Amino acid sequence: MTDAVPFLDRIPGARRYWYVGIGALLLVWPMVFGNFWARIGIGALMWIGLAQSWNMIGGYAGYLDFGHGAYFGIGAFAAGIAMVQFGYPFLVGFALAIVVSAAVSYLVAVPTLRLTGAYFAIATWAFAESMKQAALVTGITGGTFGLSLPRSPDTLIGVAVPFEIAETFFYYAMLALCLGTMALTYYLFERNEFGYRVKAMRDDQDAAESLGIDTTRVKRQVYVLSCMVAAVFGSVHAWYIVYIHPNDVLAPIITDRMVIMALLGGLGTLTGPVAGGLLVFLLERLSSVFLGSTTFYLPLIGTLIMITVLFAPSGIIGILRGEVDRGDVRRNVKELGEKFDLL
Amino acid sequence: MVDIGLFTQIVINGLLLGGIYVTIGVGFSLAFGVLEVVDFAVGEYVMVGAFMGAVLAPVFGSEGIFAIPIVLVVFFALGALIQPLIHHVTTGDRPHPLLMGLVFTFGLATFLRGSVLTIFGPNNRDVPSSLLTGGVTIPGLGTFPVVRTVTAVFGVSGLIVFMYYLYRTRGGMAIRAIAEDRTNARLMGININRYQSIAYGAYAALTGSAGVFIGMTFTANPGMGLQYTAFAFFMVVLAGMGYLPGVIIAGIVLGLTQSFTAVYISGNVVLLVLFAIIYGVLLVSPAGILGKGEWAT
Repeated sequence: MTDAVPFLDRIPGARRYWYVGIGALLLVWPMVFGNFWARIGIGALMWIGLAQSWNMIGGYAGYLDFGHGAYFGIGAFAAGIAMVQFGYPFLVGFALAIVVSAAVSYLVAVPTLRLTGAYFAIATWAFAESMKQAALVTGITGGTFGLSLPRSPDTLIGVAVPFEIAETFFYYAMLALCLGTMALTYYLFERNEFGYRVKAMRDDQDAAESLGIDTTRVKRQVYVLSCMVAAVFGSVHAWYIVYIHPNDVLAPIITDRMVIMALLGGLGTLTGPVAGGLLVFLLERLSSVFLGSTTFYLPLIGTLIMITVLFAPSGIIGILRGEVDRGDVRRNVKELGEKFDLL
Repeated sequence: MVDIGLFTQIVINGLLLGGIYVTIGVGFSLAFGVLEVVDFAVGEYVMVGAFMGAVLAPVFGSEGIFAIPIVLVVFFALGALIQPLIHHVTTGDRPHPLLMGLVFTFGLATFLRGSVLTIFGPNNRDVPSSLLTGGVTIPGLGTFPVVRTVTAVFGVSGLIVFMYYLYRTRGGMAIRAIAEDRTNARLMGININRYQSIAYGAYAALTGSAGVFIGMTFTANPGMGLQYTAFAFFMVVLAGMGYLPGVIIAGIVLGLTQSFTAVYISGNVVLLVLFAIIYGVLLVSPAGILGKGEWAT
């Protein structure tokens, strides 16, 4: 009868005080620390949510989507087009982002999920590039000029709202979306039969088929869901930054970031993308503060990806859980050395 | 009304481009066969090759073509050193080895692109070549630009040498044995680490030098690599997985598609057209246009 036990009592020991503390801190964050830190919070929450959305398909389902950033951009442009080209309030754009991303991801899923994992990765990635090209040459997206979204108080629901649409508003919007994404992931993948089906499909597709799981259907469901989540964040992001351009919101670096955040944190875990997302986002902010606005973070991210894959494939969460220790790293280095045998 | 002269010129350009794409596609396909990894970094090798050409050409009196031997050696060494890393992440007792290999090359691609972008900035760089200018005009057909013709000749001859090594030498036989069955190849006494390094090194060398030629034909840009990764992928999907003759046809189709799209639609939508073709091929015939490859599933 676990249902009768209050939520907090189910969390063991002193951890519950941490949960309450972090929860309270998240709630009062923008009011206590001001706009600068609210913006940091907005970025961190958005990237944690995006990393989690990638983790759904890449981690839990084991299908690497290297074009996931396309749905972030599709969401951003759905909101932008609804608001700028048609003059609708943001909520319509938000809904449009969900509908369009679901439709597009379904159409992409039908042929590309026939491919083995590796080819799926490049197919989705080619899709993302072609989306960027399409956005750059189409008139409705503003082409190479981009779109500037309106942000007056009546652009949320059509009539004026009694609060300012600025950092504090976006902070709570992102907080709600991020927590929603976490709850959805927790419920669907950790506490539901659906999660078992997905993991069974990832670990052995043939065995899963033989148990009566329609793996094609499961893959498609996870893919469409994760794409919708990415699009939702994209639509809010578009309104938050006000100006969107295909080279920004459809840039390959968006996917790169999601991949490294989920991978560094730990693929297929609930908390991995949170740890990886926070770490990579803060590292990037710090490097932009200290090194100025450079492209140096690209080789940095690339190196991080390679080192993680080589020495700690289960990520930060794996290290925290004690799955990777010093002996493993030493063994890894030794085995790697033996493979250099050219002369 | 289709302009016949323009039409034949587009066909010529497309065929000449196809020559160099075939080289990239065959190497990519072989890397998949031998190392069982889809190499996400293939386009970045092209890009780095083009930049090496741009940097080395002034040293040889503005002649990019003299950079080729250096690029071949450097890329062979680079590939031979990268291969053990890829082999390491795709084997052993780690979860999802194939996906790990893919993520690793994805990281490598990001690293290469970011490094070149950081060092050289986002602008285009020319790979000069004073020898390869102008063109030979054949009346009634069109002009054969010297750069593109030499590029295609290089691509095709590189391919022939590569194929000769693969099918007519003991080393090539060892590589094909590894592609067929790695464990059994090792049992037959093949040093798989060495031959995998050689195969990957040869592939990297060919791809990098193809990059110099592509840089001479077009221009060198840190962002160009993405496009060539997509091209390589397009060729193997169109050809059918693991079917080398199909790659040759697919490379020519790719060259023609690119030049027709650039003239009749726009050079900015090439990837969009290619994705549409891939989409159609996968829906209709997942084993490639010739139907002779393995299924992509």
